[in-house]
Amino acid sequence: MFGRKGKKGNYAYTVARVKAKKSALLKEDAYSKMLMMSLPEISRFISESGYQKEITELTGKYNGVDLIEHATYANMANLFKGILDSAEGELKDMIAADLERWDAWNLKVILRGKSYGLDMEQMKEDLVPAGKLGLAQLETLMGYGSEEEIIQAYGKFVDLAIPQNVLATYGEEKNLAVIEDYLDKAYYERLLLNVDPSSRPKRLFQDFIRNEIDITNLETILKLKKEGITGDVILGYYIPGGAQIDKKLATQLANADSVSAMANDLAQLDFYEDIKDALDDSKSLKDIVAALTKYHRKQAKTFTHLYPLSVIPVIDFMIHKETEVNNIRIIARGIESGLDKEIIKGLLVV
Amino acid sequence: MPSNDITPTRSVLLDVKKRIKLSKSGHKIMKMKRDGLIMEFFEVMEKAKAMRSSVVSDYEIAMERIAIARAVEGEIAVKSAAYALKNEPTVTVGSKSIMGMMVPKVEADVSKSTVLNKGYGVISTSAYIEEASKAFEKLLVTLVRAAEIETTMKKLLDEIERTKRRVNALEFKVIPELEDAQRFIKFRLEEMERENTIRLKFLKSKG
Repeated sequence: MFGRKGKKGNYAYTVARVKAKKSALLKEDAYSKMLMMSLPEISRFISESGYQKEITELTGKYNGVDLIEHATYANMANLFKGILDSAEGELKDMIAADLERWDAWNLKVILRGKSYGLDMEQMKEDLVPAGKLGLAQLETLMGYGSEEEIIQAYGKFVDLAIPQNVLATYGEEKNLAVIEDYLDKAYYERLLLNVDPSSRPKRLFQDFIRNEIDITNLETILKLKKEGITGDVILGYYIPGGAQIDKKLATQLANADSVSAMANDLAQLDFYEDIKDALDDSKSLKDIVAALTKYHRKQAKTFTHLYPLSVIPVIDFMIHKETEVNNIRIIARGIESGLDKEIIKGLLVV
Repeated sequence: MPSNDITPTRSVLLDVKKRIKLSKSGHKIMKMKRDGLIMEFFEVMEKAKAMRSSVVSDYEIAMERIAIARAVEGEIAVKSAAYALKNEPTVTVGSKSIMGMMVPKVEADVSKSTVLNKGYGVISTSAYIEEASKAFEKLLVTLVRAAEIETTMKKLLDEIERTKRRVNALEFKVIPELEDAQRFIKFRLEEMERENTIRLKFLKSKG
């Protein structure tokens, strides 16, 4: 596990770098302009807004909306990698723990690709090396012959001991879901462990993570409930450590007969007001998820201006960068698919 | 049946009478079958119309959901989720009989597919991808059902056409020809009877 009592970290330098990068992020009105553009115009616009290097690099390999998606991901990965490399001490540990989600994402992409029979080049196209593991380490993982070897090697790379029972279940069922769900749970557990709540900014960051755990748990409960699954099966996917949804509330929610029957239990939660309109069995799950995502981003905004020399500005930048990349992709893919402008606007997080 | 091919004997007359009876009853049954098939065709046509509109609406929903999933989660995430899939839907092709005509009975089985056994993790898989996947599963079931109904309709049309030709052939060719043959044999037998009587009278007057 990462050292919690290590070196303090170069907050001043990293925050100064991050602030400079944050000022280069697209402003809210840029998305409205992009909605009126064609795909080549969007490519040109983003290449003039900080994505030129990646667009130029990838232009021979991809075109159209694929170029936009890959270039924005590559840009984000380069930025995150740069921040991680420049950070030191406990700050580096916290950033690394936060970015481990991308390592888990890449491992999932490799495992899925391997089980499907993709070759290394095909798998490489889908990687986003924005985490601790660089492309070289990911290539090493791809080089292994079996999924089991890849999992073991990944565990060594990120210092994660995957329990024997998880590996045994995977060995029996050959269902990657077991590994993927374990990785998601372990990610939050390790992230919480890496944020020492001894100071106010770190406590705020921890609260933010706990909020994210609540949202993830609620999404999982709703996803399974929509499939008619209730009770203990749902609790098997519960991630401990949430701020408001503890095991007891999760059990109550898991045992509710329907999504609308959960409303009473959810009424006590902070985000109830943001999602209550979408809590209807007849409504699509994506409406609730969209409401939850917007709530989560709104939460991040509440502490971004506080504590200028802490982990908060760094995390705030990473959230904003990821949101920007997602928004560019939503607009580009939405325009390419001919989605209604109002639907695209509804999907944007601004 | 040309008259020079007919042997005007009593046994042939009996045979022709039998064939006329059989053809008339066959004609009646064929007509009933044709009417039944036409009624069945109209029922199937209504189902096909409804099914076509279901295909159109399910297709539009599925395409919108996949477009949203690709936009929100990205092509990479959607592709990656697709690679993880373990359960492929199965299509069972059987047959059933409508008025003696065999039509296909096709069923798509996607019922075993839930978020728990798809092959990707439950926690991190996006609701957008899950909804797109559900919409496509529904579209698959509708398409398979539509294919079954459209094939049934096409087969019914062919069968109606074939039955109509048979009814017409019986009504306007086979039965009239058999009746002509029956008339010809009767006439020839009567003629032969008269010739025989005259011959007998002639022999009697000589003797």
